[in-house]
Amino acid sequence: MYNVNPEHAIGLIGGFVALILASVTLRLHPRWRAVPGTVRAAAVLMVVTAGVHLALIPHHLAHEPLTSLLFLLNGLAFIALAVSFTWRHWRLASAGLLIATVIGYLLYVGVGLEGSDQVGIATKLVEVTALGLALVPVRGEARRTHRSWRWAGLGVAMPLLIVMTGATVWIVDLARPDARHVHAGALLQSTNTVPTPAQVDAASRLYHETKTAIQPYEDWHQAWAAGYRPGGSTTLPSTHWMNQRYVDSGYVMDPHRPQGLVYANTHHGPVLLGAMFQMKGINQFGPDPGGPLTAWHQHENICITPFGFEFSLMTPFGNCALGAIDISVSPMLHVWIVDNPQGGPFAVDIAPSVVAALDRT
Amino acid sequence: MATNDTGRAQLADSNQTSRPEGAFVLLLLQSIFWVVAGLSALPFGLGGELHMAALGLVTLMLALVTCLVGIGVLWRRQWARRVALTLEVICIIGSALQLLLPIGANRGPVALLVDVALPVAVVWLLWGKKTRSFFN
Repeated sequence: MYNVNPEHAIGLIGGFVALILASVTLRLHPRWRAVPGTVRAAAVLMVVTAGVHLALIPHHLAHEPLTSLLFLLNGLAFIALAVSFTWRHWRLASAGLLIATVIGYLLYVGVGLEGSDQVGIATKLVEVTALGLALVPVRGEARRTHRSWRWAGLGVAMPLLIVMTGATVWIVDLARPDARHVHAGALLQSTNTVPTPAQVDAASRLYHETKTAIQPYEDWHQAWAAGYRPGGSTTLPSTHWMNQRYVDSGYVMDPHRPQGLVYANTHHGPVLLGAMFQMKGINQFGPDPGGPLTAWHQHENICITPFGFEFSLMTPFGNCALGAIDISVSPMLHVWIVDNPQGGPFAVDIAPSVVAALDRT
Repeated sequence: MATNDTGRAQLADSNQTSRPEGAFVLLLLQSIFWVVAGLSALPFGLGGELHMAALGLVTLMLALVTCLVGIGVLWRRQWARRVALTLEVICIIGSALQLLLPIGANRGPVALLVDVALPVAVVWLLWGKKTRSFFN
């Protein structure tokens, strides 16, 4: 949901071209100056969404003819409405079409006929904005028609459609992540599917070398003396301790100089869970000796707050909570030295049950 | 198709403007985006991230303030126009920093629409002496 599907990129171009064309041609309408600016803006935005839908037809035509037909009808209907803004039932028709289009998209995404991407979400935002502009009553209108239902529509439909869009896109993204997104916000390195015997051996060597090298840090005082410091709150179940010198030096997967250590925060003090190797730059995945067993991962679109180094996930609308910043973290690889039944020694996460069990012992 | 005359949607008074209504719609949208952002941060509080939960609550408060400012703009209140302009300029500066710094922030069309285009549009709608004259 945070990326543009390359096959949908043409939709962005279509929308941009439509924006220019609408801004120029709609001015030629004899009644253009006679209507409020909100109506004019809504008409332009409807042409934009028409442009997006029409541009997407060729891509869908071969495999999804019905979708292509719907895109065509949708695009033509939006254009027809955009040029008939003086029509008596313009607001009702526009609101109906805009709401139906957003709900149709959500149904498509919900049942898996379409993947949610930036083009789809951006288009829905344009449509909801057009809906608001079409409905909002304007001071000084010559005839004050249907103002109460327009206010009601504005106050109910806009928030509802935005929340429904965000919730649907988010739930579908979490429930049906693509193969490289193992959990929310973590993008896996691209590797072969089944590890070769050589890769299994290499992964095993890396595991044992790392486990031996970080053994002294089971005593957290030793880690502290070596320069590792907690990188976040120690009230959470586990904390990454980072060695800034090793981060800055850019050691690559050196078992003797891992950039981070992960400790469980138990009632009897920090308990070492494993090591974390980290690359210096975003999108620079490290060497992958174990193939799919040792795939690095990069956290993308996470919201981090400097207050206690806590994080949350960016919304589908590109927002973080106030005071949190949207960042991506350079690729990392964990080596868990405790048994991690849910994902093995190189998994993205340690199972919460493992941490809880350590706390109970 | 039955078209009416210029009367239905035409502004009865040529001294009127629909810019405040347009700004209201955008401020309402922004307010909803912040509601979603605030709500999405709250569950992390359950996992022990108390600061994030607090930021979520602050964001919900900001969403409420933004909505009220939008209503103030709709009612042509000068204070609301000033607050909205200040708020949006801060948003633009914050978004510019986030987008320009090499921290891997998302630069997709949605983020550009919500974090840049929307605040710029609100500023454009409320800026200028002529627009100011519509507020009291």
